[in-house]
This record gives sequence, C-alpha cells and structure tokens, in this order.
Amino acid sequence: MITRLIIRRLFFLVLVLFGLSLITFTLSHLVPADPARMIAGPRASKSAVEKIREDYGLNDPLPVQYVNYVKGAVTLDFGRSFSSRRPVSEDLGRYLPATIELGLYAFLIATVVGVPLGVASAVKRDSWIDHFSRFISISGLALPVFWLALMAQFFFFGKLGWLPDGQRLPNSVDPPRSITHLYTVDSLLTGNWETLRYSMEHLLLPVLVLAYGSLAVVTRMVRGGMIEVLNQDYIRTARAKGLASNEVVRKHAMKNALLPAVTSLGLQVGLLFSGAFLVEIVFSWPGVGRYAVDAIQAVDYNATMATTLVIAAIFVLVNMFVDILYLFLDPRIAL
Amino acid sequence: MNADRIDPATMATATGTASPLLDEARQRPESQLRKNLKRFLVGNRLNLLGVVIVALFLFLAAFGELLAPHDPYTADITNSKLLGPSLTHPLGTDELGRDLLSRIMTGTRISVQVALIVLGFAVTFGTVVGLIAGYFGGWVDEVLMRLTDMFLAFPALILAVAIAASLGRNLRNTMIALATVFWPWYARLVRAQVLSIKEREYVQAAHSIGMPQSRVMLRHILPNAASVIIIQITLDVGYAILATSSLSFIGLGAQPPSPEWGTMMSTARNYFRDAWWYMAFPGIALTLTVLAFNLIGDGLQDALDPRSGRR
Repeated sequence: MITRLIIRRLFFLVLVLFGLSLITFTLSHLVPADPARMIAGPRASKSAVEKIREDYGLNDPLPVQYVNYVKGAVTLDFGRSFSSRRPVSEDLGRYLPATIELGLYAFLIATVVGVPLGVASAVKRDSWIDHFSRFISISGLALPVFWLALMAQFFFFGKLGWLPDGQRLPNSVDPPRSITHLYTVDSLLTGNWETLRYSMEHLLLPVLVLAYGSLAVVTRMVRGGMIEVLNQDYIRTARAKGLASNEVVRKHAMKNALLPAVTSLGLQVGLLFSGAFLVEIVFSWPGVGRYAVDAIQAVDYNATMATTLVIAAIFVLVNMFVDILYLFLDPRIAL
Repeated sequence: MNADRIDPATMATATGTASPLLDEARQRPESQLRKNLKRFLVGNRLNLLGVVIVALFLFLAAFGELLAPHDPYTADITNSKLLGPSLTHPLGTDELGRDLLSRIMTGTRISVQVALIVLGFAVTFGTVVGLIAGYFGGWVDEVLMRLTDMFLAFPALILAVAIAASLGRNLRNTMIALATVFWPWYARLVRAQVLSIKEREYVQAAHSIGMPQSRVMLRHILPNAASVIIIQITLDVGYAILATSSLSFIGLGAQPPSPEWGTMMSTARNYFRDAWWYMAFPGIALTLTVLAFNLIGDGLQDALDPRSGRR
C-alpha cells in the first residue's frame, strides 16, 4: 500500500515539475528580451552576441530548446547562470545549505513553541495565554515578513547594536570545515566554539523573523484541533470517570488533536521557503532565496527557473513524506 | 501564504445543512442574513474594528489622491530630503523629498485595484472551472481537478515569483501571476460546493421540468455556493495585497516611482539607518490593511458557519 502511494506521488511529482518547467519556459520565451545580448553586455559586438547565441543553443527552435532543457534538468544540469557564469546546479549547491539552516531552526522554533502554546490556549480558553496565542496567530498572518525583518534589523542592529545586520558569519571569520554545510552543526562537530557563537548570533534575527509566520499557523491549527477534540463525547466520558484533567488532555485529547497538525508540516515548508525569499534579502543571507531574487533582477532565466523547480521539488517531496508519515500515525486512513 | 486556507470539505458541510424546501422560501434567507450580520457586528468587537479599518482603506482608495496634503510625485531634494515626521509632513519625507503621508494615501488605490483585478480574474476563472468540474463529473472533473492539483502543489508565492519573473517585471505581470496562483483554490472550493448542492431536491426538480443545464448551473447552483465564495474572497483580499507588496519588495511588481507600499519599502531599505519613518509607515499601513481584512474574513466565517465552535 505504501509503495503504491509512493509511486503515485512520484508520478505526480514528475508531472508537477514537467508542468512548472513548461509554464516558466514558455512564459520566459514569450518575452522579447534577448538573453544573448544580456550575457554579452551592452557594448559587445554583433559577432560576440552571435557566438553566445550559438554557445547557449539560443538559435535552436523553441521546442528543441525545451527538450534540451528538460534533458539537462533530469540530470540536475540546469545550464549556466547568465550572471555568475557558473553552472546553476553548482550555485544551488552552494546556496541551498544556508537556506536549509535558516528554515530548519525556524521550523523547530515554530513547532516547539507553537504546539504547547496552541494546546495551552485551547485548554485554558479566554485566559491570558489564550489571548496571547491569538494575538500571535492574528498578527503573524498580517505582518509582512520583510517588514518585520527590516524593523528587527533596525532595532537590534541599528539602534541597540546587539546583533549583526546580516550574513552567516563576520567577514573576518572563516567558515567551519564543511561536513553538513550547516555552519552551526559543522562548528559544533569540529569543536570550533567561537565560530559556533558567531554563526548563532547571525542566525538569531533571521530565524526568529522567519519563524513568526509559521508559529502563527502552527498555534492556530493546534488550538483549533484541540478545541474540537475537547468538545467531543469521549473526552467528557474520560472526565466523568474521574481521570485527572491533566491526564485527559495529555493522553486522550492531544493524541487526536495533533494528528492534523502533522499536515501543516508540509505547508510550513512552503511558507518557510516563501518567507526565505524575503528574509534573505533583508539580512543579506547567502541562500537560494536571495540567489533567486538576484537572478530575477539580472533577468537570469536559467537560474530563476532552476531555483523555482528545485524548491517546488523539495516541497512536493516533503508533502509526500508527510502523507506517508500520516499513514503510519493514523491507522484509520486507507488509501 | 496559503497555509491558512479553509478546508473545502468543512465548508461544504457548513452550508449544506438547510432543508432545500426552506431554501426556496424567499423570506428565510433574508432574515437569516440579517441575524448573521448582527451576530457578526455586535458579537465581536474585533470584527467591528476590521470593518472600520477597511472602510477607511476604501475611502482612501477613492479619495486619497485628492485629499493628500502634498503631491505624491513631486520631488524636492534640496529642501525636504528625508525629513522626520513634523507638522508639514506628519509621516516624514523620502529620499527625493516627497511627502510620505501623501504617497501612502495614494498607494492605497493601487492595493485596491490589485486586489480587485487579481481576485476578479481568479474568482471568475476558478468558479467556472469548479462549476463545470463539479456539475459534469466524470472525466471532465478528473482532468480539471488534476490540473488544479498541479497548481496547488507549489508554494504559492514561489509560483507567482516564477511566473512574474518570466513575464517581466511590472505590476500588470505580477497581477497575472497572482491570479494564476489564486484561481485553483476557488476551483476546488466551488467544486466541493457544487457536488453537495447538485444532489438537492430543487436541483433535481429543475432538471425534471426540462430546464437547460446552463440555467440550472447559474440560477440554482451558483447562488447557493455564493456565501462560501464570498467568505473566501474576504479572506483572500488581505493575502492578495500582502503578496503584491511582497513581490514589489523583491523587485517584481510595481516599479518606482509608484507609491505602491512594497515598492516604497524596497527603496526605504537603503535608508534604514537614517530614516526609520520611511520604512515604518508603509509597513504599518500594509499590516493594518491585511489585519483588517483577515479579521472580517474570520468573523464572517464564524458568523455564517453554524458548525464553528468559536465565538
């Protein structure tokens, strides 16, 4: 059953990626801009532009170009970035770990804070903690993440000078020896305490800003789920037979209420990646979000298309993983 | 950004409770509507706050440019570059000496236009797709819904970025991109509604008297799905405005000298050490607007959804 689910999901993944590549490829080639001219620069000679056009395969008919593009993409070869002149896959390999490090910590904070907060606010309706959690969930959905980032940067770096304004490490500090490419983990593994401290300092603001929106979603879902479960008959039965309130919440309610929250896991990955696009620019964080934005501004099609494709692939894969996880957690589901 | 969507299945049951016979009677929906509206406005002060802010927002969209104390586009670098808030410039000025209050007031209209156009296209297209898929079922449904799923499989903002970037950077293309990411939600929502409505007796009755299919869809099915669509639109206005500003902030969307809020903040970034007001106020305007629409959306959902246990 699980293999069937995986196969179906993988098939869907291929379809989705194929669709996205077709959409972005078609759209980007409808635009009258000339990529060869852009690579060559405004003062290049006509023959130089012509040579680039030949080198990058821009003279081929569009369907041929598309087939070549898909052929390459299957082997993770997305062509060369027009602006960095490196293969796009190499660029992505360089920038993806930074985004993952950012997203991972934001996800952890959102979950570790959001779940207990949601549960507590459902159990103690209308208490101060409930008001607090609803404030978070309402404001978290309305606050523009890039604005929150700018304001945090303004106060904690500009006014107070407590935290750095961006980057993963100060310019004077070398990154730790690469094992996982996550600076905090690598510096921990190599026992490099100073680098660990620096990298954590640099992570703090971007992570907190990024986590805020996810925290809102998690808190809201957990609170809603708990309230619904707490209103059900079996909870009343459990209470009626004299179980301690604490035990009812922990053993009976939470198990069922948290199940739907697992689904939010997949959604969060989308939310975190979208947020990363905005947070990374503000904090000069060298991740894929900033890479993609730079690529957009330089009209660098190969890099833009590859980044969106890769992020979409990660998103679909994570959701597939969530579906499978769900299957193990909830025996009622038959597919 | 779409993480907080309502589950269509929940919504389907929400409106599927009334008896079809009662639905036909003209009186009942009206009084029910009034009761719901009262519950919405009186029951929760936050809803009222939302309504007040949205009213102000719409007022500014209509008259903001006329009422603005200064011309939002006239630069005066020599005399009024990056001035802090004062009596002449209550929210300060920007790097070209333009009055921020006037620019924020003028920018309101752009946000309203964007929300109207994006949701206008998304709702129309999504509703048509959902209506056809749900009504005809079978392979038509299968094809349309798999297509919809494909669009829903991406993080919305990133799909919008991809489309807007491919089309070229301007506000029109960003609106096309956003409409492209919003319509599938409506298709799914409307389809779920249609599936439950088309089984009702009055629809069967309409069929049996030989009413043309298009008329059944438009006169009997669509009106009964309306309340759910309207709630979703209210929830989405905030998202649409926020997404536009986010895209403008990363350089897609509106371009300077447009007083679009995200575009303003994108420029303000360069001056954040010297001029906190420059980035603070457009952000506050944006936050309040999105917050207000979210409050109304949540409130409407509570008031119109009899199942909802929330106050």
